[in-house]
Amino acid sequence: MQLINFTHITKEKMAHYSTNQFKNGLKLMLDGNPCSILSNEIVKPGKGQAFNRVRFRDLITGKTLEKTFKSGESLEAADVMELEMQYLYNDGSAWNFMQPQSFEQYAIDANAMADAKGYLVEQDFCVVTLWNNNPISVTPPNHVVLEVAETDPGLKGDTAGTGGKPATMNTGVIIQVPLFISIGDRVKVDTRTNEYASRA
Amino acid sequence: MQSLKNRAAIINKIRKFFATQNVLEVQTPMLQNYPLSDVYIDSVLVKINGKNKFLHTSPELEMKKLLANGLGDIYQICPVFRDNEQGSNNFNEFTLLEYYRLGFDIFQLMDNIIELLKILGVKHKNLRLTYAQVFFEYADIDILNTDFNALKKIAKTHKLSTDFEHIEDLQMLLFVHLIEPKLARLPLVFIYAFPQSQSALARIEAAVAQRFELYINGVEIANGYDELRRGNSYQQRFEAEISKRKKLGKTPVNLDADFIENLQNPLPQCSGVAIGIERLLSQI
Repeated sequence: MQLINFTHITKEKMAHYSTNQFKNGLKLMLDGNPCSILSNEIVKPGKGQAFNRVRFRDLITGKTLEKTFKSGESLEAADVMELEMQYLYNDGSAWNFMQPQSFEQYAIDANAMADAKGYLVEQDFCVVTLWNNNPISVTPPNHVVLEVAETDPGLKGDTAGTGGKPATMNTGVIIQVPLFISIGDRVKVDTRTNEYASRA
Repeated sequence: MQSLKNRAAIINKIRKFFATQNVLEVQTPMLQNYPLSDVYIDSVLVKINGKNKFLHTSPELEMKKLLANGLGDIYQICPVFRDNEQGSNNFNEFTLLEYYRLGFDIFQLMDNIIELLKILGVKHKNLRLTYAQVFFEYADIDILNTDFNALKKIAKTHKLSTDFEHIEDLQMLLFVHLIEPKLARLPLVFIYAFPQSQSALARIEAAVAQRFELYINGVEIANGYDELRRGNSYQQRFEAEISKRKKLGKTPVNLDADFIENLQNPLPQCSGVAIGIERLLSQI
């Protein structure tokens, strides 16, 4: 297993991108964090120079930010890669993933896991974002099948699930489920909205 | 097809509006002997009969020659050309409606634009805010009384570039970053009374440039001035732009001697505006 420490990486001189090379999805360094361009709009006041109004997603914090650049300014590229990896197991301190082509394993800490840890099912494939070869975030599949660990007993006769009740999944995440769902049931969950999709 | 028909209908209505107001339609030469001196508007160079000519970037100067020679209220709808434009709202070729009203100040001209927009079906209530007001309201900046260094400090707190040679360029960056996104919530707003540093070809009165811009849904649609009158005032403004060009390492341009020569007589007091037709069509 390979645990990578930031400080041991010899940093190559990264390329720079000028505003006229900006496009959606381009990964750049902004105030020390890797960011991804969400949108890039050129604004030119009637009597002024051109500016680029750019929306970024900070890949570390997940926050969206907006910045405006003089056209022609440039930013350092961020060494960011998105790789599909299989979730193997949790060893108590880290979540372990494997890249299926190289069999290279990555131990990912709770910070980078963030909300993803509530949707992890062993053997499922997730998208792992690496910055300077360090995992910084994990995106689980859009739908995962989880088991209900705890919920109040369902009401007899309720089949359509008009209301709903909270249920704790085997991964710890809490979602609203229809009243007819009981402990031990397997349910399909949409990881983007944290919503119940169907019975599995 | 529908958009072409819509465009033709709008242009027809504009012509009718000016006919009822006795504003004369004119057509002025697109080929110019001199490029525009504006720092950030680049003229397109063309070779005609072996000579360098420049396509007009707006009919403004040619129409002002007519005004200086005694022609009254005039308008023109024509294609204009600009080099080095890019982006979803900036094109190398687009259509301008440019018109001048004698005896109007900028407020009368704003009223007149509202009348025109009503005929085109735009019936939003219009707001009028000064350049200083929008900066107070949306950014808590006293823009008219903040000097270049203090403004750079403000830009730094917003993590914006401070690498500017001229205060007006930094003012515009702050406007684009802090103000314009807020204007998107307003259906129709005139911003007027610009800092002197952004006077362009507008008269300065009460320490501000008598200039306005019209924003519809946050998109800049029109730019109007209470026009400078004397040839020497124009010459000073052109020369300032020419030296800014030099300082910024942009393509050098020569003073438009044709224009200055035609301004032996000053313009009558008048206000004029340029309206981007494609931008207008996209917002109404």
